Amino acid sequence: MLSNKKINIFLLMIGIILFIFLPRFVSGYWVRVITTIFMYAVISQGINLMSGYMGYLPFGNAMFFGIGAYVTAIGMSKGLPFIVVVPLAAITAILFSIVLGLPVLRLRGHYFAIATIGMSGALLSVVQNATEITGGAMGTTLPIIDKSPEITYNYFYLAMLALMVITSLTIYLVIKSKFGFGIRSIKANEEAANSMGINTTYHKVTAWAISALFTSIAGALYAYWMSFIGPEEVFDVMIAVNTIVIMLIGGAGSILGPIIGAFVISLLSEVVWSAFLEYHLAVLGIVIIIIVFFVPKGITGTIADFVKKRELRLRKKVSV
Amino acid sequence: MLINAILLGGLYALMGIGFSLQWGISGIINLSYGAMVILGSYISLEFFNLFHLDPFISMIMSGAILFIIGAAIYRTLLQPLIKGGIVFTLILTFALRLVIENIILKVWSADYRTIRLTYAGSNFQFGDAYIPLIKFLAFIVAGILVYLTYLFMMKTKTGKGIQAVALDKEGAQAVGIDVEKMYLINFALGTALAGLTGSLWASIYSFSPHLLGSIVGKVFIIAILGGLGNIWGAAAGGLLLGIAETAGAVFLGSEWQEAIGMVIMVSVLLWRPYGLMGKKFFG
Amino acid sequence: MGENNIILKIKTLSKHFGALKAVDEVSFEVKKGEIVGLIGPNGAGKTTLTNLVTGAFPKTAGKVIFKDLDISNLKPYQIARNGLTRTFQVVKPLIGMTVEENVLVGSLYGRDKRNTDMKNASKRAREIIKLVGLESKKDSSVSDITLPDLKKMEFARVLAMEPEVLFLDEVMAGLNPAEVEEASILVKRVRREKELTIVYIEHIMKAVMGISDRIVVLHHGRKIVDGTPQEVVNNSAVIEAYLGKRYAKEVNNEG
Repeated sequence: MLSNKKINIFLLMIGIILFIFLPRFVSGYWVRVITTIFMYAVISQGINLMSGYMGYLPFGNAMFFGIGAYVTAIGMSKGLPFIVVVPLAAITAILFSIVLGLPVLRLRGHYFAIATIGMSGALLSVVQNATEITGGAMGTTLPIIDKSPEITYNYFYLAMLALMVITSLTIYLVIKSKFGFGIRSIKANEEAANSMGINTTYHKVTAWAISALFTSIAGALYAYWMSFIGPEEVFDVMIAVNTIVIMLIGGAGSILGPIIGAFVISLLSEVVWSAFLEYHLAVLGIVIIIIVFFVPKGITGTIADFVKKRELRLRKKVSV
Repeated sequence: MLINAILLGGLYALMGIGFSLQWGISGIINLSYGAMVILGSYISLEFFNLFHLDPFISMIMSGAILFIIGAAIYRTLLQPLIKGGIVFTLILTFALRLVIENIILKVWSADYRTIRLTYAGSNFQFGDAYIPLIKFLAFIVAGILVYLTYLFMMKTKTGKGIQAVALDKEGAQAVGIDVEKMYLINFALGTALAGLTGSLWASIYSFSPHLLGSIVGKVFIIAILGGLGNIWGAAAGGLLLGIAETAGAVFLGSEWQEAIGMVIMVSVLLWRPYGLMGKKFFG
Repeated sequence: MGENNIILKIKTLSKHFGALKAVDEVSFEVKKGEIVGLIGPNGAGKTTLTNLVTGAFPKTAGKVIFKDLDISNLKPYQIARNGLTRTFQVVKPLIGMTVEENVLVGSLYGRDKRNTDMKNASKRAREIIKLVGLESKKDSSVSDITLPDLKKMEFARVLAMEPEVLFLDEVMAGLNPAEVEEASILVKRVRREKELTIVYIEHIMKAVMGISDRIVVLHHGRKIVDGTPQEVVNNSAVIEAYLGKRYAKEVNNEG
C-alpha cells in the first residue's frame, strides 16, 4: 500500500530525472533561462526560510549572493581553483551573517528588514569603491572555461539543479526537525517562544547563516558561469525584490513554493519583456500588486486552503 | 562648505520628515517615496514650462496633488494590506515605485531635467562666503514648512488626533478618534511633504528617475537617525546627513557618499535603534 | 535544596519605571510542593513581578534564587529550561500551529534532556494533552478553539516542559464559574500528579482561597501580608486594600 509520502517522493524523483534530461529537448536559450530559474529558486528558499517560516524578512539577502560572487572572482583571480573558492565564499557569507546577525537579529521585524537593506547598500558601495581588490564599478572577470558553450551551459544547468535540490532538501529537513519547530514558533509568537525555553537569538542567527550559505553558493556559480560580474549586478536590489515576489507567489512557508514561484515569475517576465518592453516596469509592478491582493498565500497556499476546505466539506458529509 | 551642507540639510530635513511620519505613525515603509519626491519635481517642471510658474509657487500644486495621490494610494492599496505585515507593505510600495517610475520614464524620459530660473545664478555675500540665493530661499521655505508641520501636529485637532493615535491606538479609539482617518491623513501628509521637497529640489538641482533609489536610501537614514515619527528628530537627521554627505564628498570623494550614509544607518541601528534622540518607536 | 525545602527565594525584588515603582522591594519564599497564592488589586504588580522572576523584564534591584541557583540575570529561555515557567494572563498561543504542535514545542524544550528529541517529545505531548482533556481538539488550529480550551492548551504547554515551579498568571480571567471550577480541579489534580510548586496569581479572592496553602498579598508594588488564607482574610490591611478604609474599620469593629 503506497502511502502519501512514498508517492510524493516518487513524484519528486521523476521530476528531478525529467529536469536532468530536459536540456536534450530544448534550445540552449531555454537551458540558460531554466538555470537562472533554479538560481532564483535557491535564493528564494533562503528568503522563505527567514521570512515565510520565521517571520523575519531579509530584504537585503542578495548581499550574500554578491559576496559569493566576489569572493569567487577574487579567489580565482589569485589562481585558486573553483572547487576551493566555493567553500571559501560560503564561509565568508556565513561569517557575515553571524557577525551582522547577532546585533541586528535582536531587533524586531521592521528594523531587521531595513538593516539588511542598509547592509546590502553599504556592501555595494564598498565593492564599487575598493577598485584595487574588486575591480570597482567596472566589474571583474573570472577565468573563462575552456570548453564549448554548449558543454558550459549544460554543466551549469546541472550544477544549479543540484544546488536547488540540495537547498530545498536541506531546508525541508531543517523545518521538520526540532530546530524547525523553534523557527516556526518565533514567527507564531516570539515572546511565547522565549518563555518556553527557545533560544530565539540562536535560532534566528543560524537560520540566517543557512540562507547565507546557499545564497552565496548560488552567487559563486553565477560568477563562474558569467565570467564577468559587476557590483550593481550582483548586489542588485531587484534580486531581493524578485526573490521575495517569487516566495509570495509560490507560497511562503512551503518548500515547493519558491520553486514554483521561480518558474511562474520567469515565464511571466519572458512574456512581459517581449510584449511590453517599454512598460515592463509598470506591468511588473501591477502584477505584484495583483498577486499581493488576490493570491497572498501564493499558489501552494491557495491550493492548501482549497484542499483543507474540501476535507472539511467531506468530513461534514460523513458525520451527517 | 559648511553653509552649503546646511542648506542641503534643510531640504533633506523636509524630505525625511514625510518618510519618517509614514513609517513611524502609519507603520508603512514607503519604498515609493523617492518616486513621489521626483514626481513633485516634474509637476513643478510642467507648471514652469506651461505657465512659467516659479517652483516656489507651483510647489503648492505639487503638495496638493501628491497629498491626493497619497491618500488614494493609502485608501485603496495599503489600508487593506496592513494586517498582512511588513512583507506585503514593502513589496507593495516597491511595486508602486515601479509603476510610478515607468510612468515618469514614459512621459519625461530618463534625461536629466532642470528648471532654469532667471535668478538662478545670483549669490549674496555673507561674511566670507557666497551663498546661492536659490539655495538660501529653498532652505528658508523648507524650514517654514517643517515648522508648519510641527504646528499642525501640535496645535490642530487633526494633528493632535494623529499624535494620539501614534501614542496609544486603543486609547485614541476609546475617545472616539477615527484611527483609520488619522493614519490616512498622516500618510497623505507624508507624500505631500515629498512632493513639496521635489519642487524645492527642482528649483536648484537637476533631476531624473535615476535619483529614485538613492532618495529612499537617504530618507531611511534620516528616519532612523531621528527616531521614527519624530519631526524634529528627522529634521536634525536631515541636517546631519546633509553635513555628512557634503563633508564626505569633499574629503573622500563623491563615490563614498552613499557608503557613508549606509554605514551610518547600520551603525545607528545596531547601537541605538530608537534614533539618536532616543524617542520611543511608535509601533 | 536548602533549608526547609525552599525552592524559590525572591529577595527585595524591585522594578521602577522612571518614578513609578511597579514592584517595590518584594521578598518572599516558596516551599517545594506549595501552592502560593499571589493576590492584590489590579495594578498591584503581580504580573510585573512574574515578568521579573521569569526574566522577561530586567530588574531594577533584587535577586531571585531558584533551587540554590541565582537566576537573576538569566534570559527567559534559560530560566524556563531550568524548570521555572509561567502562563500568560492574555494567552499567547503559537498562531498558525495546531494544539498538538503548541504543546509539542513546550515538550521539545523541556527540562529533562532525555525527552527533548522529536520522538519522545511527541509522546509526552500527547500524554499531557490527554491529561488536560484536550485530546479531541489536538489537531485543531489554535485560532479555532474557545478561550477555556486556549487556557488549557497553554497550561498543557507549560506542563510539557516538566517544570518544577509554575507561575499561573490569572488563569481564571474570562472563564465562567463552571469553567473556573473545572480549572481549579484540574490544577489541583495536576499538582498532585506532577509534584508541582505553583505560584497562583489572581485578583479574585475567592478563586485563590480554596486552593492555596499560603497567600502573599501585593498592593502598590509592595508586599503587605504573607500568611495562611485565614490570616489574610482577616487582615485589615488586606481588606483596606481591596475595599477601602471604611470596610476595614467595620470588620475591625465587628471583632
